[in-house]
Amino acid sequence: MPMTRTPNMVGAESQVRHSLPGQAHAATLGMWIFLVTETLFVGALFAAYLLVRTVHPQGFILGSRETDIVLGSINTAVLLTSSLAMALAVDRLRADMAGAAARWMVATALLGLVFLGIKGVEYLLDWQHGLVPGPHFRPGGDQAPGMELFFFLYFLMTGVHALHLFIGIALVAIFAVMLRHGRFGAGLSAPVENLGLYWHFVDVVWIFLFPLLYLVHRT
Amino acid sequence: MNGSSARRLVGVWVLLMLLLALTVGTAFLPLGVGNTLLNLLIAAVKASLVVAFYMHLRTAGTPLPLVASTGLLWLLLLVVLTLADALTRPSLSAPW
Repeated sequence: MPMTRTPNMVGAESQVRHSLPGQAHAATLGMWIFLVTETLFVGALFAAYLLVRTVHPQGFILGSRETDIVLGSINTAVLLTSSLAMALAVDRLRADMAGAAARWMVATALLGLVFLGIKGVEYLLDWQHGLVPGPHFRPGGDQAPGMELFFFLYFLMTGVHALHLFIGIALVAIFAVMLRHGRFGAGLSAPVENLGLYWHFVDVVWIFLFPLLYLVHRT
Repeated sequence: MNGSSARRLVGVWVLLMLLLALTVGTAFLPLGVGNTLLNLLIAAVKASLVVAFYMHLRTAGTPLPLVASTGLLWLLLLVVLTLADALTRPSLSAPW
């Protein structure tokens, strides 16, 4: 007699694969796996930073002192606050308050734009101060090669971070509009929650970038 | 309406802001290598707060913390093995 599946078994299977909570779990797991690959992507940049810093410790100290600690600190506060807004959006959505969730997401995107704006001002000041690596790199002395490498990594790492944030802002804005149109709710919150995971991940990357780039040795 | 969960999220934000003030403030103290270690310690605490509360890892089921720690493990391998090579390489002078 051939083995046949009982209707019950099929039912249990499809519950895992096709039920909404099952799909939400799978989506969240997939998002975390994506974030792990992102960790290794930025991890390579952090490894490069550590490597070059061990070769040029003094150049990194002098380079770090040239960064704008006031704008950098303000920007860190802005980004941490944007994470609070994103977390509150997810919290409101779970409570089935889509309108409030959409408002918090607009706040999240706006804070993200403020961050990019401040970062743009910083880049402009860096350019004017001759801190962009290349033929117009201003700092001289025997530590100049280390400082130039520091600023190469500074622009690369903050640039990669800004690109991630830009993508995040666009997605948060799109999702806020979709929320307004009733596309998500307490029963279907996984897409918004997973976008929140991405947003917080970008925040966590900055939490490590900030002390490594702005606070090496200020005294 | 779940006010207590929102209050907890705001509480975490207050902690994050205090830690930010602490890391910026201590950067101006002459602690030598202690500055870097303190900065990284504070960054790790801040990241843990974000991951635990804002990314809900604190209340997540088994697979998610496992996946997250896999990421940390691979990151550790990447950094440790890179530095292990670079820092233990003897600097040989050219024979000519």
